[in-house]
Amino acid sequence: MGLLKINGKDQVFPDNKIPATIADLLRQLGVDSTTVVAELDGQIIERAKFPTINLYDGQSIELVRFVPGG
Amino acid sequence: MDKLVIAGRQFTSRLLIGTGKFSSNKAMAQAIEASGAQIVTVALRRVDITNKDDDMLSAIDREKYLLLPNTSGARTADEAIRLSHLARAATGINWVKLEVTPDPYYLLPDPIETLKAAEILVKEGFIVLPYINADPILSKKLQDVGTATVMPLASPIGSNQGLKTRSAIEIIIEQANVPVVVDAGLGLPSHAAEAMEMGADAVLVNTAIATAVEPAKMAEAFKLAVMAGRTAYLSGAAAESKKANASSPLTGFLRNE
Repeated sequence: MGLLKINGKDQVFPDNKIPATIADLLRQLGVDSTTVVAELDGQIIERAKFPTINLYDGQSIELVRFVPGG
Repeated sequence: MDKLVIAGRQFTSRLLIGTGKFSSNKAMAQAIEASGAQIVTVALRRVDITNKDDDMLSAIDREKYLLLPNTSGARTADEAIRLSHLARAATGINWVKLEVTPDPYYLLPDPIETLKAAEILVKEGFIVLPYINADPILSKKLQDVGTATVMPLASPIGSNQGLKTRSAIEIIIEQANVPVVVDAGLGLPSHAAEAMEMGADAVLVNTAIATAVEPAKMAEAFKLAVMAGRTAYLSGAAAESKKANASSPLTGFLRNE
């Protein structure tokens, strides 16, 4: 079973089909990659590396973006 | 009006504006424009995967405005540092409004964690603008570790109570060698003008503009108040006295005595 912890919640991918890269994950989630910052297992990943960083079973990924604030 | 200089960068506006609580991105963009502000604060949050609404950044012209990410939501120095790193990765710039607010009711900043985070972030090359209680000693310690400003609160965030911390902010202004930006709680343009007349270098306003019936109009009112307050400060205010001092001549009255 393929599992990623996305923003603190476990997400199961059927048939062990974890998205290959961060870019693939964002595409699958329908999230615009140009406005997102990713932290994979506590390490910030530069946006330019989204297509090249591989994802593995059990990893934890945080996806954050800017929102209105004071 | 004279220019505001923060960390070597010049600004013609002395009003900083926050982007929270607007009814729409359009209302936010119009208010930012009307405010004349050049520094615009934003927050950083997890992407809501179930509700991917449109991106607020598309409404802000990054060529025209300096984006100032805050660390709101941080309860410790470590959390604030992590948010600062994420914000830098997102913007490519190293300016951060440092906020560490463990208290959920009054959202008062934690002085010890704020100082700790500021020291580390400055060493890492960040331009740090710390949000603090109006504490003159803390302000000195923060400027000593190299923060770019100090941002004492006027009253609790979003409370619109005005300058409740006036006498402490006066001391902070007197001692500061970095710009003093009065942040939080300014509910009316007159509050902003009062802070500027006292000699504050700038003010940051969000709730009072965003939750007005007509935010863009209120943004303009704050812009004018900040300009008026600054100009008054530079003019050197006349002295206050207990007794009346007639403005008209006290001779030549039309009566016989």
